[in-house]
Amino acid sequence: MRDICEWERNKLQRWGKFQLPNAYKKIGWAIIIGAFLLMIGKKFVEEPSWVKPVLRNIMLLGFLMVSISKEKIEDELMASLRATSYRLALIIGVLYALVQPYVTYAIESLLDPGNAELDNGYFQVLLYILLVQILFFNALKRNS
Amino acid sequence: MKNTLKVQRAIKDLTQEDLAKLLGVSRQTINSIEKNRYVPSTVLALKLSKVFEIPVNAIFELQDEDL
Repeated sequence: MRDICEWERNKLQRWGKFQLPNAYKKIGWAIIIGAFLLMIGKKFVEEPSWVKPVLRNIMLLGFLMVSISKEKIEDELMASLRATSYRLALIIGVLYALVQPYVTYAIESLLDPGNAELDNGYFQVLLYILLVQILFFNALKRNS
Repeated sequence: MKNTLKVQRAIKDLTQEDLAKLLGVSRQTINSIEKNRYVPSTVLALKLSKVFEIPVNAIFELQDEDL
């Protein structure tokens, strides 16, 4: 039992420290911009139905890469700021996921009363959480 | 918590950048500690103590609000 606990502790500590090298931040931004441009471009051409969700997932992957990439000097201050930014992003993200569908529903009900839907896709919530984390992390870095 | 990091650095004639390189952290981290915006870990505090060759208590001091 003790061995299992020790193994679990070691694994969790190792996974908890997982980060991508700093170079992946630029790659992440390139993926985000590329996916964004393709999403705009696809409005002007006929495309199969699977393109939109795939582009959305690629964009989320780009944001995740930016989010988990190391800074040029990743020290304990950065780890502390990163932890704070994830905590804030999680809290704000959950609140957003709870409140946003009702706001959208209320607005849609006013604009188009017959077709209002109480919906909140995973893309919006994940994008919001990742964006909030990246923005908070940069704001905390500027003010530390 | 207050600290005498800036004074100790001046005694050793080290810039924030020099100290950061010695400790393997960013200059921003040294600046944040000096401005009391960041409390370093025990490991970093001990590394500072080693660089300045004085006890940790001579660099960091608890204040009433920490007690």
